[in-house]
Amino acid sequence: MNFFYFASPSTFYRLAGILAPWCFAVAAILGAAGLYVGLVQAPTDAQQGEVYRVIFIHVPAAWMSMFLYFVMACYGAMSLTFNTRLAAMMARALAPTGAMFTFVALWTGAFWGRPTWGAYWVWDARLTSELVLLFLYFGFIALGNAFEDPRRGDRAAALLALIGVVNLPIIYFSVLWWNTLHQGSSVSFKGTSMHVSMLTGMLLMAFAFWSYSIGTALARVRTIILERERRTRWVRAL
Amino acid sequence: MSAVAAGSFSGAFRWAFARDLRLSWRHPGETMLMVAFFVLVASLFPLGVGAEPQLLQRIGPGVIWVCALLAAFLSLPALFAGDYADGTLEQMLLSPHPMSGWVSGKIAAHWMASGIPLTLLSPFLALQYGLDAGTLTILACALALGTPLLSLLGAACAALTLGARGAGMLLALLALPLFVPVLIFGAGAAEAQSSGLSPSPHLSLLGAGLIVGAMALPAAACVAIRIALD
Amino acid sequence: MNHDFYIWMSYGMTALVIAAEIAWLRLHRAQALRRIEEERDLEAQD
Repeated sequence: MNFFYFASPSTFYRLAGILAPWCFAVAAILGAAGLYVGLVQAPTDAQQGEVYRVIFIHVPAAWMSMFLYFVMACYGAMSLTFNTRLAAMMARALAPTGAMFTFVALWTGAFWGRPTWGAYWVWDARLTSELVLLFLYFGFIALGNAFEDPRRGDRAAALLALIGVVNLPIIYFSVLWWNTLHQGSSVSFKGTSMHVSMLTGMLLMAFAFWSYSIGTALARVRTIILERERRTRWVRAL
Repeated sequence: MSAVAAGSFSGAFRWAFARDLRLSWRHPGETMLMVAFFVLVASLFPLGVGAEPQLLQRIGPGVIWVCALLAAFLSLPALFAGDYADGTLEQMLLSPHPMSGWVSGKIAAHWMASGIPLTLLSPFLALQYGLDAGTLTILACALALGTPLLSLLGAACAALTLGARGAGMLLALLALPLFVPVLIFGAGAAEAQSSGLSPSPHLSLLGAGLIVGAMALPAAACVAIRIALD
Repeated sequence: MNHDFYIWMSYGMTALVIAAEIAWLRLHRAQALRRIEEERDLEAQD
C-alpha cells in the first residue's frame, strides 16, 4: 500500500473517523487509572502535603503544551515544503488543543504556586515563556482565520508556527539557564527524586493527555475536511 | 526603477534602502510623530506611578524599553502594507533584484527611521528618570542591539498579516509576544548595570539574537511576502 | 494546612476546559454537517 494513500482528505476522513473514538477510549481508561494512582495510591508528600497532587495534571499538561506546538510546527513545515493540504489541516486541528493545555498548565501552576510560593503568579522565566507560548497559539489560530482563502491562512500560520519554535527551547531550558523560583524537573533517566506511584500516576496522565490530543485533533480535522471539501462529490454523497 | 547593479544582493539592498529612506524623509512628520509618542509615553509614567527618584531609577530602563517596543510596533504597518496596496510589492517581486536583498533593505530603512532616533533619544529620557552615566550608556547600547532585532521580528510579522482581516490587532497579537525576549534582555542589561552586576551576558544574548535574526528573519519575511502575493 | 481549595480549583478547571472543548467540537461538526445538508437541498430544488 502506498504511504500517501491516507494523504488524500477523503481517505483520511474515514481513517480519522475510525481512530478517533479509540483514542478517546484509551484516554478515558488511562486517565481513570492515572487519577486512581495519583489521588488514591500515591502517598502524601512530606514537604508539600496534599497540594502536590496538582502535579498529576500540571506537568503532563505543560509537556503536552510544548510537544503539541512542536508537532504543529512540523506539520506546518511539511505543508510549506510539500504544499500538502492535509498537513496544513492537521496543524490547524492541533492548535486549539495545544492552547487548551497551555492554559491548563498556567492555571494549575497558579493554584499550585499560591500555597507553595505564596503567589498565584510570579514573573519568572518559565512562567513568562509559557505565557508567550499561549499567545503564539492564539496568534496561530487568529492568523489562520484572518484570510478569505483558507489555503492562504494555512501557509501564513504555518510560517508563524515555525518562527515561534524558538520559544520552545527557551521554555524547556529556562529553569536551567536562569536561577528561578520554578523548580527543575524531578524526572530524569538516572533514577528519580520521587516515589514510584507518583511517577506512575504522572506518566499515566501524560499518556492519557497524549491520547486525548490525538483524538481531538482527528475529530477536529474531520470537521475541517468537511468544511473545506463541502462542494466535492464524496462529501455530497455522505 | 534604477538599473544600478540589478541582480546582486547588495545592489537590491541599497536600492530598496535608499528608496524607503527617501520616502520617509519626504514625510518627516511621521518619524517626528513617533519620536513625540516615545517621549510622551515615557513622560506619562512618572505622572502615573509617582515621582520618587528611587522608584523612577528602578523602572526607568523598563519604561524606556516598553516605549521603544511600542514605537517600533506602531511604525510596522507602514513597512509593507502601503507597497502591497498599490502594487509596488508585486512590481518589486517581478524585478530582477533578488528578493532577500530588497526585503533586507526595507527592514534596514525601517530601523533607520524608527530604531535609531529612539536610541539617540534614549539618553535624554534616561536623564529624566535620573539614571547614572553607566546605566545610561548600557541602555543605549542595549537599544542599539535590540531595536534592529525588533525591526526584523516585526517585519516578518508585518509581512504575514498583509491582506488579513483586522490586520492591526492581529499584528499586535503576533509581534508583541515575539518582542518579549528582546524586552527582557534589553531591560535586564541596564538593570544588571545599575545593581552592580555585569551587563555583558545580556548584551551578548541580544547580539547573538541579532545575528541569528539577521540571517533567518529576512528569509522568513520573503516567504511571507510570496505567500501574500501568490 | 488544608489545600482542598487549590486542588479542587486545578482539577475542576481542567475538567471544565476539557468538557468545553468536546462540546465545541461536537457543535462545530454539527454546524458543518448542517451546512452541507442545506447546500444539498438548495441544489436539489434547482
